[in-house]
Amino acid sequence: MPDLTYQEKIDLLRAKKLEHTREKQEVVGFMDHDDWGLILPPPTEREIVRTISSSGMPITDVLLKSFKVIPNHPSGGFFGPRSCGENFRKLLEVHPVYIDPISSLAGAYMVNFMSYRNPHWNPDFDYSHLHKEQELYQLVTGIGATQHFCQDMEIGLRLGWKGILDKIRYFRKINSIESFEFYDGLESVVLGIQNWVYRTAQTAKAMAQYEENLELRRNLEEIAEMNERLINEPPRTFREACQWILWYLITARMYNGSGSLGRLDVMLYPFYKRDKEMGILSDEEAIFHIACLLLRDTAYIQLGGYDRDGKDVTNPLSYLILEAAHQLKIPANIGVCVGEGIDKNLLYRGVEILIKDKTGIPKFLGADNIVNGFAKNGYPLEIARERAYAGCHWYGIPGREYTIMDCVKINFATIFDVALREMMQESGCTPSAKELWDRFTKHLRIAIDTIAKGLDFHLEYMHKVFPELVLDLCSHGPIEKGLDASHGGVEFYNMCVDGAGLATVADSFGAIEERIEKEGKLTWQELMYYLDNNWAGLDGERIRLLMKNTPRYGSGVSIADEYAIRISKVFTQMVKEKPTPNGYNMIPGLFSWANTIPMGKNLGATPNGRHAGDPISHGANPDPGFRKDGAATAMAIAIANVQPGYGNTAPMQLELDPSIDNEKEAIENIANLIKVHFDLGGTMVNINVIDKDKILEAHKDPSKYPDLIVRVTGFSAYFSSLSPEFRQLVVDRIIGNG
Amino acid sequence: MVSGIVFDMQRFSLHDGPGIRTTVFFKGCPLRCLWCHNPESINPKIELAFYKHKCIGCNSCVNICPTGALQNSERDGKSYNIEHCQFCWKCVKVCPSEALVLQGKVVSIDEVLEETSKDIPFYKQSGGGVTLSGGEPTFQFDFCFHLLKGCKEIGINTALDTSGFVSWEKLEVLLPFVDIFLYDIKHMDSGEHKRLTGVSNEIILENLFKLNDAGKDIEVRIPIIPGYNDSKENITAISRFIANLKSIKKVKLLPYHKLGLSKPWLFNNRRGILDLEPPKKEDLEEIKSIMREYIDKEKIY
Ligand code: SF4
Ligand code: SF4
Repeated sequence: MPDLTYQEKIDLLRAKKLEHTREKQEVVGFMDHDDWGLILPPPTEREIVRTISSSGMPITDVLLKSFKVIPNHPSGGFFGPRSCGENFRKLLEVHPVYIDPISSLAGAYMVNFMSYRNPHWNPDFDYSHLHKEQELYQLVTGIGATQHFCQDMEIGLRLGWKGILDKIRYFRKINSIESFEFYDGLESVVLGIQNWVYRTAQTAKAMAQYEENLELRRNLEEIAEMNERLINEPPRTFREACQWILWYLITARMYNGSGSLGRLDVMLYPFYKRDKEMGILSDEEAIFHIACLLLRDTAYIQLGGYDRDGKDVTNPLSYLILEAAHQLKIPANIGVCVGEGIDKNLLYRGVEILIKDKTGIPKFLGADNIVNGFAKNGYPLEIARERAYAGCHWYGIPGREYTIMDCVKINFATIFDVALREMMQESGCTPSAKELWDRFTKHLRIAIDTIAKGLDFHLEYMHKVFPELVLDLCSHGPIEKGLDASHGGVEFYNMCVDGAGLATVADSFGAIEERIEKEGKLTWQELMYYLDNNWAGLDGERIRLLMKNTPRYGSGVSIADEYAIRISKVFTQMVKEKPTPNGYNMIPGLFSWANTIPMGKNLGATPNGRHAGDPISHGANPDPGFRKDGAATAMAIAIANVQPGYGNTAPMQLELDPSIDNEKEAIENIANLIKVHFDLGGTMVNINVIDKDKILEAHKDPSKYPDLIVRVTGFSAYFSSLSPEFRQLVVDRIIGNG
Repeated sequence: MVSGIVFDMQRFSLHDGPGIRTTVFFKGCPLRCLWCHNPESINPKIELAFYKHKCIGCNSCVNICPTGALQNSERDGKSYNIEHCQFCWKCVKVCPSEALVLQGKVVSIDEVLEETSKDIPFYKQSGGGVTLSGGEPTFQFDFCFHLLKGCKEIGINTALDTSGFVSWEKLEVLLPFVDIFLYDIKHMDSGEHKRLTGVSNEIILENLFKLNDAGKDIEVRIPIIPGYNDSKENITAISRFIANLKSIKKVKLLPYHKLGLSKPWLFNNRRGILDLEPPKKEDLEEIKSIMREYIDKEKIY
């Protein structure tokens, strides 16, 4: 049998991935999050459990039969660095080895350590004093949130596992006895990883002996040799560097779901350059190794961008990484930087792949506004430029900034609902849009204050509950100081505070002003009646449509547009007005992630014509159907106008019709749309190029299109893996229903 | 103040000329193409239209109609007797679901310019601008003239999408204000042209010659209507005719498509005279290969 070409190998790997995905769908059911790279453990090793996801949804999860945690607390939980480290080490030591003889890299992760944590929070640390407000406003508080900041993987690439271990041991001697428990935890994690890598090397060796295909045997031998080295040594070659990164990634993913990667093109470049100069690496081979890396984890990657001095870092690898995603065609989260000083060809190539593959890959990052916005928090531009794209909608300074991005959400719609009901129930109060606005901002202030207190609480106690034992390993400070990243270990603390449901509230205000105050088509009392009855009956439906069909946020000239800007402004100003009581900086953004569904579930009908329980609007986006022509330019302007502007994002989620009669023109037009959105102030663009008919058919029978990939929000996923509710959300956006 | 009647303004329009554009659809057209995909553009007046699938049956419209012009109807949801209509549009204002809508809206030049100015940053970046389409924009000549002029005054690139069925005297007046003509050619045989569109093609072809001589950028557009104008003879004749016209920068095929749900019902049954299968990809390729024998292949889209 002749050697397989790289493309053939990639095709085989993709087919295997689809098989794994199908199996996951069968066993686990719907997955409303990133596809990740999780592979189910072998059937005999599976223990299937029903549990509650972090967003409060009942989910099925798979645990390893051979692993049980040892609790250290009467609640049945395990808390603190030592216990977390020891338990995780044990999991790593029994974790099945996974080697695909076709892939150039070994390793895959099979369970989420988080699923063994029960309870998640240590009840000794009580925050019931915050419960009242947290519940009233249904806040996503971030207390107990894990990861969601970016490590600096270059530390690991330089030191290797042994080097990291030595560093831990060195600083253990220097620092006080109080940090011993923390060092124990860190050590356990490294020893566990080394064991996993060791067993993998042994298995590869054994597999090689039985492999009859010469090429595959050679590959297995290389895997064995490479991993044997990597147990201790830092990587030398490009392939070794990819393998090292993969070990780190899947360990971090397994520990607490981290998927941050950052500037992969920059971090791999020295290895690429060295191997190229030595003549031991071709571009095809480099693409293949990257593809093997992308195959096992959907980590968040930035391509291109600025260095500290503002120079463009785009390099040949930026293109090869794009190429790898293009050839692989599986869910991936790759962001292409767009900016004044950044190579435009990367943007064009990115758009070309977006149009060709129709997988929502890549996404686009407004580098200039991110940098300049972040600097407004009081940072020099040199530091601001270091921030790297590392999560759904977020950036972080690798290894130096703790953020719990995407984990703190204020649902504007709930705040609005509280304000509306308070106004209507207060005797002697004459309802008006102005009065409602005043009450809305009053409650928003309280909600932000509650969030701030919660953040302080989190920063105080999280390290005693579930410290960042994996991300700490590649951060600047935690090992040196003996402090977890969530507790003073790193240099900068910029806590995320995202607003959600912008369009829902802006449209509600717009409809109220228009229909109640200007036209007098209904009274406040009638509005409340219809809301409470969820627009029941023919008359209810008539009023609902009347409210819904007022000019909406995004149309460009409506009252709702003005409200959207006002809401974003007042929110930004309130978040920036003061830090948390303990002095931590907070940064506003607008993003709802996948929370639009749960955030809408507990919410009654809203005056924008939304039914009780329906999802709230998506991030900073106008609601689908915001204009008859659905014009992307109108959306681009609207979303640029509501940017908080402090370096955290308010992404634009765009659905484009693929009826493209000339590819070159289409690339130009879409690239220009993206550029102008960024010129106007935008920060991030997610695009799906999807055929309406195809998505409708896939919605009817997802199994017909097992490989259809959509960008759900910041992340991309197989359409067939999403729950019907989620699929509906994506379909509505694409069809422009609503 | 000059005003006109438009039936739609579409931003982020990518198929009506270069770059990112806003297309302004004028109401009124002297042609009656059998395949017309904008039937709401034909009548120069504002008219009532109905989306049956959006109607919730609340009856507000029928109840408010002062003359009984609007009635419920078993078959179509609503019936409308234009002879009894006072054009008060009370029915439209009361309809909550946008099921009853007006096709056409009186707008001033300033209003159109305000809307079309919103996307100026996108035009600048992409080389786009405003496209006047319809209908036949020159049918509302004053409005057309002033809008083109207004666009040029604020530096917006302009495209005029025209059937060419207009006197040369008028076209000539517009010339200084048009950056590119999107020019339809439907059939080379005058008799056939008349049968398909209601008018013969002499003026149209003559105007194209003159535009070419005037040195204006032209994009020729050929609707491909299976069985009506897609014969080898017609395609060859068109190709031969335009082969030597130097100002033609682009030749684009516009394959026939079925009207979607997005099109409203105009009560008087003027829609969908033709119900055809859209041309297949292979057929379009075949047509393009014929054209390539005469026309620079870089120009064919
Ligand atoms: S425009 Fe006036 S008269 Fe005509 S159908 Fe509507 S309500 Fe009746
Ligand atoms: S008012 Fe509108 S929704 Fe109500 S019956 Fe008439 S057309 Fe239908």
